[in-house]
Amino acid sequence: MSKLRVTVNHNKCVGSQLCVQFLPAVFKLNEKGQSVIITTKEIDQQSIISTAEQCPQCAIKVLDADTGEVFFPPAELEF
Amino acid sequence: MEVTNLSDDLMTKEVIADPHGYYRQLRAADPVHYNERWGGWILTAYQDVVDVLRDANRFSSDRMGFLAQELSQEEQELIAPIFKILSYWMVFRDPPEHTTIRLLLNKHFTPLAIERYRPMVKKIVQKTIQKSIAKGQIDFIKDFAYEIPMSVILELLGAPDLDRDKIKEWSEKIGVFFFIKADEPRRREIACEGINELVDYLTPLIEQRRERPGIDLISLLISAEEAGSLTYNDVLATCVLLVFGGHETTMNLIANGTLAFMQHPDQWEKLQKDPSLLKKAVEELLRYDGSVKSTVRWAKEDVMVGGKQIKKGERLLVSLSGANRDPQQFNNPDGLDITRDPNLHVAFAHGIHVCLGASLARMEVEESFLGMISMLKCPKMIPGTDLSYYPSLVHRAIKELPVILEPIN
Ligand code: HEM
Ligand code: SF4
Repeated sequence: MSKLRVTVNHNKCVGSQLCVQFLPAVFKLNEKGQSVIITTKEIDQQSIISTAEQCPQCAIKVLDADTGEVFFPPAELEF
Repeated sequence: MEVTNLSDDLMTKEVIADPHGYYRQLRAADPVHYNERWGGWILTAYQDVVDVLRDANRFSSDRMGFLAQELSQEEQELIAPIFKILSYWMVFRDPPEHTTIRLLLNKHFTPLAIERYRPMVKKIVQKTIQKSIAKGQIDFIKDFAYEIPMSVILELLGAPDLDRDKIKEWSEKIGVFFFIKADEPRRREIACEGINELVDYLTPLIEQRRERPGIDLISLLISAEEAGSLTYNDVLATCVLLVFGGHETTMNLIANGTLAFMQHPDQWEKLQKDPSLLKKAVEELLRYDGSVKSTVRWAKEDVMVGGKQIKKGERLLVSLSGANRDPQQFNNPDGLDITRDPNLHVAFAHGIHVCLGASLARMEVEESFLGMISMLKCPKMIPGTDLSYYPSLVHRAIKELPVILEPIN
C-alpha cells in the first residue's frame, strides 16, 4: 500500500467540522476554526478518501506521497 | 465613531435596494454595532462574522428556543404549527441534535454525490432556455430561475409530480415568518397557514414511502426514523426544510447573478470566451450578491466580539453580504471579478451549519450559466424597468426581472 499525503486547503476550508466528526484521529480544528491534520499514520486509504468526499468545499486532498498521484478530489470537482 | 448619520432602520427602501452600500458604511463606522431598533448586534466585518459562525460552542442557532422565551404561553399556542416544524429544522438546532441529522444527510449532498443530477439539470436548463428564446422577452425569475431548482428538489425527494405552484405559494407564506416586516401584522398567521398546508400535502407522501421505500431522500429519512436515530418530527420537519430551503435561495442566486452580468457585460464575455472559469464565476456571484444576506446567532455566554462585550442571551445579526464585501478580506470588494481566487466568501455561511445544499446549488447555478453563455448573448434589461426587492432582512430577492433574450447565431 502506498504512503498517503493529506492536505487541507485553508483558502477553501469553512470549518464545517465534518472531517473531524468522521475521522477525529486524523483531523482537528486549529484556533481559527479550520481543519488541520493530526496524523495520517495507520489510516487506510479508503476511510480517508470517503472522509475527504464529505467536505463541502473539496478542501481535503489525498495524494500518493511518493508519486504525487491525486486520489481525491478528481479535477472536475475542484473549484 | 461616527454612526449618528446611519439610521437603525434596516427595512427602508434605500437599504432594501442597496444593502451593500448600507453595510459598507456601517462596517467603516461601527463593525459590531448595537442596533436598538432590531434589538441586537449587527456584524459586518469578515473576521468577526467568520469567528462567530465557526464557534457553535458559544453561539447558538436555537431560534425557536429563544423566540419561545420572548413570547407568552398564549402567543406560543397561536403559532404552534411554526414551533412544531421549525423547532426540528437542523438549521435552528445546536449540537448534538444538529450533528445527528447533518451526518445522516451530508453524504447525499457531497460535491461527488450531486454529480448524478447534473445531466438532468443540463436538460432542464436547455429546455427552459429554448422556451424562453421562443418568447424573446421573459420575466427571468418566473420563466427561468424558478424552473430549475424546483424541478431538482422534487427529483431528490423522488416526487417530480408534486404541484409546484402550490409548493411555491406555501413556501412564500412560510418565508413571511423570516421577514421583519412592520407592515405585515399577520406574518405569523400567514406562516402557520403555509406550514399547515405544506405539511398536509407532504404527510401522505411520507406514509406512502413508509409502505414502499425508494432511493429518494424521504425514504432515507424514514429508514433513519425506523432505526431510532431520528424522530417522526425530524423526518417531517426535514422534508419541509428541504422543500422550503431548496428552491427560493437558488432561484434568487440565478436571478441576482444574471443581473450582475447585465451590469458587467465584460464579465459575461470573459466567461463566454473561457467557460473553464465557470466554477470561479459562480463563487464570485455568490460573494458579489448572494441570495442570503444574513443569519442570526444567540450568545450562549458573555463573549467579546471585535472588541465589544456581548452579553449572554443577546442576539447577533451576522451579515453575510457585509462580510463578502469587506475590503480587509477582498481586493476591490465592490467589483465583480469572475477570476477571483482565492474567494473564501460566506454566502453559504461557515461552520457546522454551512449550507447542506451548497454543492447542489453550485451545480444548478453552473449549469444555468453554462447553458446561457452557450446559447445566448448577454441578456438585456427591458428599458424603463424599475428594479425592486422583497423587503426582507434575510433574502436578497428581486421581485421581477423582465429581460430580452437573444440567441447567439
Ligand atoms: C444559492 C443557494 C443557497 C444559498 C445562498 C444558501 C444559503 C444557506 C446558508 C447561509 C445557510 C446557513 C444558515 C445558518 O448558518 O444559519 C444554509 C443552510 C442550509 N441550507 Fe442552504 N442555501 C442555498 C441552497 C440550498 C439548497 C438547494 C438546499 C437544499 C437542498 C439548502 C438546504 C440547506 C439546509 C438543509 C441548511 C441547514 C444546514 C445545517 O444546519 O447544517 N440550501 N443555506
Ligand atoms: S470538512 Fe472540509 S470544510 Fe469542513 S472542516 Fe473539514 S476541511 Fe474544513
